[in-house]
Amino acid sequence: MYSTELLVQTLIAGVMIGVLYALMALGITFIYSIVKMINWAMGEFYMIGSFAQYLLVVYLLGPDFWWVAVPMAALSVFLIGAVLEPILIKPMFRQALERKDEYATVVTIALLLLLRNLATGIAGPNQFTPGSNLGVVMLGPLPVTGARFAAFLCTLAALTLFYVLLKRTWWGLALRAAAQSRIGAQTSGVDILRLDQIAFGVGVGLAGLAGALLAPEFQVYPTNGVVTTVKGFEIIVIGGLGSIPGALIAGVMLGVVEALGAAFIASPYQNVYGFLLVLFVLLIKPTGLFGERVRQA
Amino acid sequence: MKPFTRALGSIAIIALAGLSGSAQAADDTVKIGLEIPLSPPGDPAAGQLIRRGAELAVEYVNTVMKGVSGGKKIELVVQDSQGKTDVGVAAYRKLATEDKVIGVTGFFHSSVNIAVNEVAKEIGVPTIATQTSAADITAKHYEPAFRTHAIDPIRVEAFLEFTKKMGYKRVSMVAETTDYGIGISEEMEKQNKETKAGLELQKITFDHAATDLTAQLLQVKAFKPDLVINIGVGAPLDLIIDQATTVGLLPATPMLVSYDAPVRPQFWKLHEKNGAGIYFIAYFSPKQKLSDIGAWMAKAYKEKYGEAAIYSSLNGFGDVMILAQAADMAKSTDPKAIIKALETGTFKTWADAPVTFPDAPGVYYHNWSPPMLILHYTKPNEDWQTAEIILEHVGGKH
Repeated sequence: MYSTELLVQTLIAGVMIGVLYALMALGITFIYSIVKMINWAMGEFYMIGSFAQYLLVVYLLGPDFWWVAVPMAALSVFLIGAVLEPILIKPMFRQALERKDEYATVVTIALLLLLRNLATGIAGPNQFTPGSNLGVVMLGPLPVTGARFAAFLCTLAALTLFYVLLKRTWWGLALRAAAQSRIGAQTSGVDILRLDQIAFGVGVGLAGLAGALLAPEFQVYPTNGVVTTVKGFEIIVIGGLGSIPGALIAGVMLGVVEALGAAFIASPYQNVYGFLLVLFVLLIKPTGLFGERVRQA
Repeated sequence: MKPFTRALGSIAIIALAGLSGSAQAADDTVKIGLEIPLSPPGDPAAGQLIRRGAELAVEYVNTVMKGVSGGKKIELVVQDSQGKTDVGVAAYRKLATEDKVIGVTGFFHSSVNIAVNEVAKEIGVPTIATQTSAADITAKHYEPAFRTHAIDPIRVEAFLEFTKKMGYKRVSMVAETTDYGIGISEEMEKQNKETKAGLELQKITFDHAATDLTAQLLQVKAFKPDLVINIGVGAPLDLIIDQATTVGLLPATPMLVSYDAPVRPQFWKLHEKNGAGIYFIAYFSPKQKLSDIGAWMAKAYKEKYGEAAIYSSLNGFGDVMILAQAADMAKSTDPKAIIKALETGTFKTWADAPVTFPDAPGVYYHNWSPPMLILHYTKPNEDWQTAEIILEHVGGKH
């Protein structure tokens, strides 16, 4: 049944969830930009972030200090990523590997299985929640949990901060140089392998941040990263691999399309609408809305 | 090299002797297959609870009953269905053809059970559904298919009795698009029509993997129902409760949860603030009388796990006990003999009521159902054992 109020509510809900998914997509696309590989285990880093948030809030800080726990959880995932990268990813560049893409795929899928099964073994079958003392917020006609609203604002802040760091700092300059040309950056004196480590850590840290922010909303359990990973990949296909503004805009588009489809067409096919959008974009612009063709030697 | 070769040969002989020894030991055990969800997207909490009961049944048979068929011990062989049909079918094949179990039980997801029964029809090793309620599990009248759980028609009878008792007229069903969700919602529409219950029904379906149901719940809110029936399983069930609270549906609009998830300890950990007021289906209450083996199980469970046994564990226990009793009656591990024993025998389970699997029409074929209760949490952190019993429904027309 159509009503203007339902339309407005659905649009707001779609924008909010889209922005939250975009954070996940940003991590995937950032890693690809610098390290030139797809990290298939992003959902597991999201999951680790959510578990870190849960443990910090429930056992250490309490729900009122969720905002202290969030950066701590994201930082912990960054550190895990920074430790894993030299072990798993660096060999890709250190050794003369002929098929880097396949290597990256195999290694990150193996990491996915390891982390997921480890979490299942340690955490068991139950779901958890860090809880939230934030009350419901009215965004126009749409009631939204305080936790989701806070996550939305934090995501916007994180995206802005990320953009400023990329544009205004030396590290950001080095990362953008590496994204344009690894060899060019290396000949300019940039330690490209160190940059890979930082980029990988930052990328998975963004996934961990998404997990920490969404923990009170989507609960905490070993496979809670699966669906958000799929959404992340849909977004980078729509927005264009390697494009940061593309990730945000595509995230919003995906969230809105899925929400409107579920509300006004048929709700069981909510996820299908997102894939239809992906197909549509691939038909009209295969590199994604903000992606670019690249030549690779 | 000679001493080395001799040593290798000795090791080989010892190993072979060990293997033949274990093969001999294997002949002295009767294997029972337990196919349960132990990882998502299945409901692993349910799987673990069923497993607990099944393991206690093995302990009971081996220590109290002193085995079956002349002293043979029983052994549980566990497989994870993950709640997926393809994985479940592969698991059943392995249990039936490689592990040579006498029967497979533990099923929690209707989709998996239905898919497995299609294969069971060919392979012939019987299945006993522990907690799956879709009609097709027994309605297809496959000889190896049995069930000891409430079925959709009886569950929906309980729903309708509840709506009549409470005077509800507009009912919204929020159902996942699985055999379970679709089965219940369609049965509800069917019985509403056939019994002329006169309810105005809204059916909202969603993908089991969905992480955001705001759009769907806004539609429910716009419908202004008297009651919302939550037909999600596992994480979606919790998502519906939480997001219904956010959009303002709960606590103003009563919600009925379609199965007994609220009796699990984790329910209050997840819904401390919005769990009070929820109605839910249950299949067991401590106020019910247990059989002697049920009482043994309840005591042993409490000692081992520090909490009261709930239905999933009780029925997991009961189903393994039934298969063990069938093996005893049949004096054989041949699947055909086990099926004959199941069809003709009377069995003990946890409830103080005998279990039989009649050759009855429709969905009641090879089916035994426990009574169905609707309980109500009236305050936060309430113990399910003291929850208000709104109604007890004994269904089934044969």
